[in-house]
Amino acid sequence: MMSRFPRSVNVGLLGGFVIIYLTAVGMIEAFYDRPIITGYLQFSVALMILNYLFTGYMAAKPSKDGAAPKPISAGMIAGLTAGALVGFFVLGMTVLAELGYNPRDMFVSINPASLDILSFGQTAALAVPIQALLGAVMGLAGGYLFQTAKEARSYVLVGLATLMIAALGAPLFAVMMDGLNIPSRWLFDRDGLTIAGAIVVVAGSVGIKWYFNRISFAETVAKVPGVTKKNTNLVLWAITGVVLLMLPWVVNTFISDVLGTVGLYILLGLGLNIVVGYAGLLDLGYVAFFAVGAYSIAVLTARSSFLVGGSVTAPAATGFMNFWVALPLTVVIAAIVGVLIGAPVLRLRGDYLAIVTLGFGEIIRTLVLSDWLKPYLGGPQGLTEVPSVPLGPLPARDPRILYYVIFAFVVLSYFVAIRLKNSRVGRAWAAMREDEDVAEGMGISVIKYKILAFVMGAAVGSLGGAFFAAKLSVANPGSFTLLVSINVLAVVVLGGMGSIPGVVVGSLVLVGLPELLREFGEFRLHIYGGILVAIMLLKPEGLIPDARRARELHRDNPEKLPDPILAEAGGLSE
Amino acid sequence: MIERLPVRRIILIVLSLLIAYGVIAGTVATLQTGRFSTADWVSLFTAGVARGSVYAIIALGYTLVYGILFIINFAHGEVFMAGTFTAFFIAQALAGQGILNEYPIPSLVLLFVVSSVVSMAVAVILERVAYRPLRGAPRLVPLITAIGAALFLQYTFRGFYGAQVRAYPNIDILQGNVTIAGFSVQKAQVLVTIGAIILWFSLYMVIERTKLGRAMRAVGEDREIAALMGINVDRTIVSTFAIGGVLAGAAGILFVQLFNSVFFFMGFFPGIKAFTAAVLGGIGSISGAAVGGLVLGILEAVGPILFLTGFGIPSPNQLQPIISFGILVLVLIFRPGGLFGVPDEERA
Repeated sequence: MMSRFPRSVNVGLLGGFVIIYLTAVGMIEAFYDRPIITGYLQFSVALMILNYLFTGYMAAKPSKDGAAPKPISAGMIAGLTAGALVGFFVLGMTVLAELGYNPRDMFVSINPASLDILSFGQTAALAVPIQALLGAVMGLAGGYLFQTAKEARSYVLVGLATLMIAALGAPLFAVMMDGLNIPSRWLFDRDGLTIAGAIVVVAGSVGIKWYFNRISFAETVAKVPGVTKKNTNLVLWAITGVVLLMLPWVVNTFISDVLGTVGLYILLGLGLNIVVGYAGLLDLGYVAFFAVGAYSIAVLTARSSFLVGGSVTAPAATGFMNFWVALPLTVVIAAIVGVLIGAPVLRLRGDYLAIVTLGFGEIIRTLVLSDWLKPYLGGPQGLTEVPSVPLGPLPARDPRILYYVIFAFVVLSYFVAIRLKNSRVGRAWAAMREDEDVAEGMGISVIKYKILAFVMGAAVGSLGGAFFAAKLSVANPGSFTLLVSINVLAVVVLGGMGSIPGVVVGSLVLVGLPELLREFGEFRLHIYGGILVAIMLLKPEGLIPDARRARELHRDNPEKLPDPILAEAGGLSE
Repeated sequence: MIERLPVRRIILIVLSLLIAYGVIAGTVATLQTGRFSTADWVSLFTAGVARGSVYAIIALGYTLVYGILFIINFAHGEVFMAGTFTAFFIAQALAGQGILNEYPIPSLVLLFVVSSVVSMAVAVILERVAYRPLRGAPRLVPLITAIGAALFLQYTFRGFYGAQVRAYPNIDILQGNVTIAGFSVQKAQVLVTIGAIILWFSLYMVIERTKLGRAMRAVGEDREIAALMGINVDRTIVSTFAIGGVLAGAAGILFVQLFNSVFFFMGFFPGIKAFTAAVLGGIGSISGAAVGGLVLGILEAVGPILFLTGFGIPSPNQLQPIISFGILVLVLIFRPGGLFGVPDEERA
């Protein structure tokens, strides 16, 4: 990057622009409603503070050409620059509005409310010194953080991260504690933490980290009577299982419902992971199978499919079927659709395949929406009155039913996914993904295995669709947009393509969190887009990488293997 | 050993027979109903030509980037949206002052400039932030990045300018019809088609006659050799994105003359369709983009009514996406190199 300014100033300007961007897209204003420490610190203010801290930290880092700045002064200068930029932005926008050119006419979120948050309720003129001071102090802290020992830094990071998680998850944790009859008022106040809560959370997390720094986690577990080194994993799994089975009785219906949605996405993610992660086929039309599953179950079980649009054209053989009878049929239908879609297009190379599958997703949605198929599929309003899943003594429409059913199928699919990965089929997929021609040369029937991947993905996806329709009691085209495909893709990519635990983490982070943090709802897709880009740029193997996939993705990463010819030539022609 | 049943080939043959039957039978049946006059068909056709011209210009952006980097810039539709949406505010301000109708030509020029500059800036930033660090990474990686970037750009502009659909102000002199060869054609459609021809021709001259064009072709042929020949590869790639952005921004102003509304998601479908056009004509080929755009535009406008009405399918225009995506799928299956490209086993 060529610039006349010193590097710390450049980093600072970038840091300032981040805040201006967040303001312009409306995040600063929306997140102001969310407390971190109730009455003292709002989430958007915390974002500003963390941004300045990060800016200072980044400025203190040695640059790529090896020039190491003085950490503390570089951090402070960067923070000061960032803060001053934000301050002048507030001032400039306010002056502009006074002159009659209201920035709000174009940028809807650059409005008095958000500018007021940036100037901490003071006049616009005071925004410059306030922000500059805040930026300088936090930038200095960031520079200092860079300078301190790595261990001390990790304590600070753990403390901050736990504080943010505890605060953002406050409503969830409070409800869970109430459910278990543990007093929670002293920790949580409405949506945020109390001051005492914040201190307890930070001190607790730092203490726990300090404890496990001395004794490893596995050793601690092994000290519990009856646990040997061999069965440690088994015991941990068993505890997790029991907790998960108990969960719906502890939390309220809303959270039960959210957990059901997370499970649904785990299921979908496991299915797509077979296609994208194992076989390396980028399917952007995964929603097609989801829709096929939902509509199949609706046609087979719904009472309304006779009456849609006032016509009685639906075949008399459908409807009134029990969910558990209809489910295997649904999976078979989806598998057939998988073959029909897959067979003609699987010869295509990766990026073409992506677009074609996207096309199929849109074709299915268009068909479902059309007047042509309305007598069968209900057009825009879809099929209604899909009965819920019958399960033992639990009353119909109890969200716990779906929780348990989805839980069971997730466990099943999880197990199948693990077994599949290391099977002959899984190894064939891996070979095909790494080099199709070589795999074919080794005697792997590429088309056969590609279709198999597609069919397995379709089957799992249709299960998800069936549960979804039973859960909402409708199947309508509004639920089957491209965004579902992209959500599932984001889940798989964030966790790590080909990584099975990654899917679980991806769903919890991308589906669970936004459901709980309602202020995020509006920005969900915005953040998904950012995450997809960031993951691909920084860590293409995902949060919990699959070892083999990680090696493939770094095989010819230009970051790790600079291209000498290009670097040379670029320099020569300057 | 018994020869394996060629399942794929059988599926393909059955598929092509079915489609051929559908198209022919549908066309004959529709024409027999006699519900549409010649004038109706002509107006559908001209609408298709105008729409196809816009697709062709957007398609150039896909084709240029693909020709040089071999990646599909999935976010190109958003580049198109960014410029068009931003220029909307200029158009609104001009219309508010009455300038838009008083001086329509300078106003249009201003709109073209604003839209092109914004789109170009977005395209260049996109290349710098999202694609450059990933050069040489496995194919899947830049593609997922592109999808992420598309989503990010859509919602960034949603955050900036709001979620509602805005009506682009009309220019009075472009309303109404003119008579060409005895048929009445909308003025806007004529303007859009002529504008697209000018844009396409300028690009053609840039690629064929300028040093930059030669550098772009060289980098597309072989990046390393081009670098050895003293071409600044990075700069050439940025220029390619910039040119694609300028064209997308300009195409946006043409687009709103036909469709009159802007919102943050407006780039998605034109983007996909322009991509289809690029593939249809043979991705990487400049002339292919033009032909692909026109063919797709005409098929989209005429196709649903011509092929489907005869079967008594209600509201055939609803099924229009099936025509465009169907074409994409069929081209990729039967002629992956596009109508004019060479079938290239390695690429497809």
